Formats: sequence, C-alpha cells, structure tokens
Amino acid sequence: MTLVEVSGLKKSFHGTEVIKGLDFSLERGKCIALLGPNGAGKTTTLRMLSGLMKPTSGSISFSNYGKGEDIRHLIGYLPQFPVYFDWMTAKEFLQYVGRLAGLSSREAKGRTMELLKRVGIEEATNRRIAKFSGGMKQRLGIAQALIHRPLLLMLDEPVSALDPFGRREVLELLEELKKETTILFSTHILNDAEEVCDKILFLHKGRIVESGTMEELMYRYTEAKIDFSFNQKADKYETLFAASPLVNSFKIQGDTVTVEVTNLEKARSYFLNRIAEENWSLSKFEISSMTLEDIFMKVVGNDEPVDNTITKRIG
Amino acid sequence: MNQIEGINIAVLAPVLIINLILIIVAVIDLVRVENTRGPKWLWALIILFVNLIGPILYFIVGRRNN
Amino acid sequence: MMSQWITLLQKELVEMWRNFKWLWVPITFILLGVKEPLTSYYMQPILDALGGLPKGAVIKLPEPSAAEVLVEGLSSYTSIGVLIIVLTTMGIIAGERKSGVAAMILVKPVSFISYVTAKWMGGLILLVFSFFIGYLATWYYTGILFEWISFGDFLHSFLLYSLWLGLILTFTVFCSSLFLVPGTAGFISIATVLIYTLISGTLTKWMKWSPSMLTDYANQLLAGQSLPTAANPAAAITVTATIILLTLSVVVFRKKELAA
Repeated sequence: MTLVEVSGLKKSFHGTEVIKGLDFSLERGKCIALLGPNGAGKTTTLRMLSGLMKPTSGSISFSNYGKGEDIRHLIGYLPQFPVYFDWMTAKEFLQYVGRLAGLSSREAKGRTMELLKRVGIEEATNRRIAKFSGGMKQRLGIAQALIHRPLLLMLDEPVSALDPFGRREVLELLEELKKETTILFSTHILNDAEEVCDKILFLHKGRIVESGTMEELMYRYTEAKIDFSFNQKADKYETLFAASPLVNSFKIQGDTVTVEVTNLEKARSYFLNRIAEENWSLSKFEISSMTLEDIFMKVVGNDEPVDNTITKRIG
Repeated sequence: MNQIEGINIAVLAPVLIINLILIIVAVIDLVRVENTRGPKWLWALIILFVNLIGPILYFIVGRRNN
Repeated sequence: MMSQWITLLQKELVEMWRNFKWLWVPITFILLGVKEPLTSYYMQPILDALGGLPKGAVIKLPEPSAAEVLVEGLSSYTSIGVLIIVLTTMGIIAGERKSGVAAMILVKPVSFISYVTAKWMGGLILLVFSFFIGYLATWYYTGILFEWISFGDFLHSFLLYSLWLGLILTFTVFCSSLFLVPGTAGFISIATVLIYTLISGTLTKWMKWSPSMLTDYANQLLAGQSLPTAANPAAAITVTATIILLTLSVVVFRKKELAA
C-alpha cells in the first residue's frame, strides 16, 4: 500500500535547479534509504517532504489525505543537525513537543518516559540538553520525531555524525522501529542503507538515477563473475576461455583472468571440473557478485576511467 | 558620608538591595552559562564594577541565548 | 488549538524565567525610574556635602514639582527602556529561525499564528509587568519624597505609556519575523522608532492622533491638565496599528522558508 506519492518534484534556489524532477512512492511499513553523495539533494528532498520547504513544482500526496489537511500530523522528522532549547531538560523538550503535536499532557508524559527508555537516554531524563553529547542529541532527535506516532519517520543522515559505536546502536534502533512505522532516511554511506533498508533510492545531482529493493538491484546489476589467479602468465589459457560456451566475456590482466558468465552455477561446476582434471596451476579461484558499492559506482560515476586490459567479447 | 544630612537610609535601602540582587543574578547566570560573547572574566569585572549598567549590559550583550 | 497556544506561551514564560528575564528586566525598570526622584531629591544635600565651594556661596537648586519628577522618570522608559525592549525582543523569532530550532518545532503540526502570537504575548506580558513594577516604584518614591500624584492618574498614564511601548514591542516582533538576523531586526526597529518619534514631534499639528503622542498626553495629564481630546483616537489608532503589525508578522513569517 502506498503511503506517499511524489511526482515531478522540483526545487530551484535562485534560479539553480537543485532537484530536477523526482518521481517515487513510499510503501507503507517499508524502510527506504535515500542514498547519494553529498550535494545530491537529499536534505532538500526531505525538507520538501516534511513541509519545511515548498517545492518549486510537482506534488507530494499522502494517501487518504486531502489537499488542505496538515500533513505534519503524519510526519516525524529529524534534521541532520538537530537543534534544541538548550535550557530545557530532555524530558521537558519531549513533553513540550508532544503537547504541540496534539497529545494530552498525560499522554505526552507517558510517551516521553517510554521514548527516553527506548532510545536509551533514560539516565539523562532530567539533564539539561546543553550538556548532551552529539550521540545523545541524535537519540533525543529520534525520540522527538516519534513522539506523536507518525506514519512516516524521516531521518536526515541519522548516523553520519556518530562514532562507530553510536552508529551501531542507532542502526539497531532503526531496525526495531521498522516494525512499527515507515522509515525514510538519507545517507551517503552504502553500508547503512544496505543494512537496514528494504528499498533504496539512488539520488544523484537532483535525480533518482536508480531505485529498487536490494534483491532487484543485485539482480539487475549482477553479472556473475569468476576470478582466476594463476601462478604464471595467463595468456596461454586464452584459447581455452574463448572456446567455452559458458563464457560471456573475459579479461586477461597479467596472471589473472576475470570471466563473466551467464549461468554461474553451471560455470562453477564446469570450471571446477576442468581445474581438477587438467591440474591448472591456480593460486585463487573466486566467485564474485557485485557489491552495492559497485552498483553505486556504476550508477553514479559516468566518468569511469578506461582500463587498458585485453577484453574480448564473444559473439 | 554621614555628613550628608537628610538622607534617609530607609528610603535608599530598598534600591540598594534591588541593585545588589541584579548584580547577584548576573553573577549566578555568568557562572551557569556555557559561553559568553567575549571572555567571562571581563564580564565578571563589568558586572561587579560598572554600577547598574554593567549587569544590564551583560544580560543584553554578553549572554548568548541558545 | 487553544491548548497548543497555551503550551507555546508557557514555554516563552518559562524560558524568560530560566534566563532570568523575569528578574533583570523588572529590576532594571525599577532602577531606571526610581533614579529620577532620588537624584532630584538628594541633589541638594549631595552638593552641600561635597562642598568645595567658598563659604557663603550656596547653590540653590529649584525644587522640581512631583509631576515634573514623574515625567522625567517616565522619559527614561521611552529612551533606555525602549532600547532594552528592542534588544531583548529582536531575536524572539529571528533567533529561533537562525539557530534552526524553529524548524524543529514547526515540523510538528503547530499553527504559525499560534507560534507568532504566543511569542508576542510572552514579550508583552514581560514588558507590561516590568513597566508596571518600575513605574509603580517611581510613583511611590515621588510620593514619599515629593508629593503624591493621584493613583488614578498614575494608572491612566501607565495605560497610555503601555500602549506606546506595546506598539514598539509589536514592531520589533514584526522585524524579527521579517529579517533573519536579530541584529538587523533590532537596528531597523530602533531606527524606525527614532525617526518616527522625531517626525511626530516636529509635525505636532498633523500628528495629533499619532501613537507616539500618547506619552505627551499622559504627561499633560500628570501635570494636572485635562486629557486632550485627541488622546482617545490616538489610543484607538495605536491598538489598530498593533493588531495590523501582529497580523503582518504572521503573514511574513508564513511566507518565509523555514529551513535556510
């Protein structure tokens, strides 16, 4: 079921188009990563979705929500650099925000204690926010975004500023939150997206250049590859690879050969047999599928350097 | 000062006390606050030695709100 | 919506308590006003005590009237008092927007009208409270050291001055909503008030209903004269201008992009 439908979304600042027409939809209950390098337009996109910025053109529509209605009831948002009233305590801030979001004072109190525990800053309940560390502020930020049980939780680079330890904890928290609400979070780090998300939107220079679930992307981009490393120059095996019907193309580089195949399973047993039978002088035999990073580079980098290796494509 | 005749301490005392409260409040705030515009010790001197204007100047200029 | 507005106002009031505004602003207003009757009264004994004058040479200061002392005390509210009002109010909206905390608050379903008007109300309460306490102390000191001005005239003049000071506060809130930098908002506010008061003061014939004339009318009242007939229309215009400026503050704020 679709929660949000975005179409033709554009945003210009002083005549420069930063977001150049986005079309995507967010499925209810899914965790979606907005992935892209710095400057791709992630923050701007999230700000438009949260209502903090008005799109230059295009539409954002929430299902079952009319045009005039206040979508802010449905949204929890954590900006990249959350700012608080430093003079408040964590408890005061959450209660304040809860009241503003329409909770009764009793509900706000209950929800505050619940969330402080949930994000793991219970011990800082009555501490002034001025004394909080970056990680604690990030957790408080997640808590304030969740206070009114939003349908869509949006987080702008929630883990980028954290040390590895804090990052681990926040990712685990997201993993848990996935079960309750739809999450859209932006990141420039592939592993984070890969780890918690069902679906990835690749944003690059204001456009969505690729999107899909992890499996879809893998399937779309995986060209099953087998790497051979020999103990000698690999040239003498050239005819052998060229003759094999299972090989799509291959690349010889010194003593290594990279072979692209169509059917990985068949190719593997075929080559393992030959290796055993003919006693190839191999030092390494490796089946590699593409990592998300390879896909990312492929999708984003149009200016890949040309490598000067022998590449032969077969029929 | 006791040469000055006709000055009634009962009249002046409340004003002096209020002035003192202002200075104390400014000092307490200066101690509590994380950072100020300009060095803290300078503000301490201004609050303590520039009568009346000192504490007010601190609250308006020296104090960084958020 | 009402409960949200009260939540917003409460936050303003608590914030002013935490940063001691509830203490230092009223105290400043007391000291500003009370200074006048005290120095006027004690000028003679101080001069006598300091001496340094040849025997027999006596400086005799003319004894000011109670009304003169009170009006003089009030004048510090329309000068330094206004400066304090503007400087403490200029960041009320601009500051929160600049720091980014406004964005944190306004992604919640908070009405823009509530956000702006609650802030304005918080500032107004502090101003009226501080001015009342300060002026009351000045009136009291003038009473015990000089002569008592009737409490009715005190209240009436308090009201007229409050309308003018409230308008200045509202204008500062408007500037704070219009400009992103608190300093700009403050500078424009002070410059505008200054220029306006100057024009109003020189063109008295045409500016009878001007809000800035309210203080003149209050002074005349304290001096024992009857309140000029222009006072009521001037008061009505001041209230209208306040409402218009407050509305504009909301309109301008809503138009602005929150995340800059």
